[in-house]
Amino acid sequence: MSTAVQRRETSAPTGEPAPPPWYATDLAARLSSYVFGLLLWIVLAMAFERVPGPDEVVVRLVQEFQLGQVFGHFGTTMFRFGLGLLVAAVGGIAIGVLMGLSPISRAFFESPVLVGLSIPAIIWAFLTVMWFGFGWKAPVTTVALSALPFVAVNVAKGVLGVSRDLRDMSRAYGVSRARRIRELVLPAVTGYIIAGVRFAVIIGWNAVLLSEWFGATDGVGFRSRYWYDANRFGGFAAWVVLFVVFIVILDRVILERASRRAFRWRDES
Amino acid sequence: MARLTVDDLCKTFPGSGGRPPNRVLDNVSFDMQGQVFVSLVGPSGCGKSTLLNIVSGVETYTSGQLDLTNDEGRPARLGYVFQDPRLLPWRTVVQNMLYVQDDNSSQTRDRALRYLDMVGLANNTDYFPTQLSGGMQQRVGIARAFSVEPDLLLMDEPFSHLDAITARGLRENLQEIWIESRKTVLFVTHDVMEAVQLSDRIIMLQPGGRIFDDITIDLPRPRHQSDPKVATMQAEVLGRLESMTGVNDDVSQAAPTGGAP
Repeated sequence: MSTAVQRRETSAPTGEPAPPPWYATDLAARLSSYVFGLLLWIVLAMAFERVPGPDEVVVRLVQEFQLGQVFGHFGTTMFRFGLGLLVAAVGGIAIGVLMGLSPISRAFFESPVLVGLSIPAIIWAFLTVMWFGFGWKAPVTTVALSALPFVAVNVAKGVLGVSRDLRDMSRAYGVSRARRIRELVLPAVTGYIIAGVRFAVIIGWNAVLLSEWFGATDGVGFRSRYWYDANRFGGFAAWVVLFVVFIVILDRVILERASRRAFRWRDES
Repeated sequence: MARLTVDDLCKTFPGSGGRPPNRVLDNVSFDMQGQVFVSLVGPSGCGKSTLLNIVSGVETYTSGQLDLTNDEGRPARLGYVFQDPRLLPWRTVVQNMLYVQDDNSSQTRDRALRYLDMVGLANNTDYFPTQLSGGMQQRVGIARAFSVEPDLLLMDEPFSHLDAITARGLRENLQEIWIESRKTVLFVTHDVMEAVQLSDRIIMLQPGGRIFDDITIDLPRPRHQSDPKVATMQAEVLGRLESMTGVNDDVSQAAPTGGAP
């Protein structure tokens, strides 16, 4: 989406009116949204005793770093999240491509995927803890099962939208099925894959935290619960801030860049 | 080189939503073989493109027979030039050429580059299609079709979406490449001038999908639009086409066959 906007900006004729003043730019809007958020937080913290202010959260955050708690728990959670996401992406792309290419597999997978979409992460979190007990298997499975249907649905939609003209062309030339998937279908659905993975990141992150909250002895979810149980809102909020920052960086920096790279052929025109 | 035999071929699209079935090809029979350039000419809606799609295997037929083999009697390798270029937008020109090849050998690559050179795109091999003009994209489509060394080359109004000057350039270019390669070509067009300039033989289809006429064009190549012999032939073929549309009007008044969309 954002690529289209950028393209329009770069391809604007040079005779256009002067650029807007600094306060009317996208950047200014984005920054002021951050400032307003921070102000709102400060006001709420002053008004309610049980809302920790930014200052307290920062102090707690620094303490957590000093205690050496951040990297261990974060690393553990990252591993579980990454592994679960990988399973969800690979499985989701495979099922999505199948659903898009063959009506029979669509009929087969449609209901399971719909069921998967409707089961909340918390159900998987409970179930997997019951199945696997405490450890890495429960969170990884929770992430994979919660995120996979979203990837599959998106990819299937993308495959169904692959240009009929290009498919006919490939058939007339007798291009092999493997090559068609690699060079025609996958590039055509890249946008859908990225959209699906973005969904999967948000949902998977929820899933891993929930799962650790109930069924782990380490990780970000576990540490958040530790502070929650200790009735220390500052420590709890410090972890919330940590993973919000993480998700924003992941989405903005990594996925956004991947998307831009994938659509190089569009931008260079 | 290929041999194509079409016998009593019929194609009827099933009617939907209460409309009657639509017959687009009606007992079409012809055969062609060897180093020959054959054009299928007729007004739009006479089933020319459908016939091409049937030959390429993208479309099925309702009844009749179709036999397409190469010189060794095996299934023929096809090249196809469409009305629009149909290039993968996320692949460069040379990658698009390689996409349709059977192997990735350096010979294959050289052959692809040679045909790109023949259509005048030797310096644009690493461009993405969106960076080329419509005419250049269509040139890639033509080079691609020749580069698979097809037994039979199918072309579906390849110049109809281009402006007149670009189309003329590409037509000349196609003629040169054909003289050099002498592939078996089945070429669909509604442009009589183009058909006469390029073909050895013109098969005329009338609305409803029946063959109306089969004309041999026996003129030396290369042919130019300005050549009086070519112009005379064009006038003659055009005359026959006009007589056909007249005949068709009579037929449709006498017995509406529900064929023409």
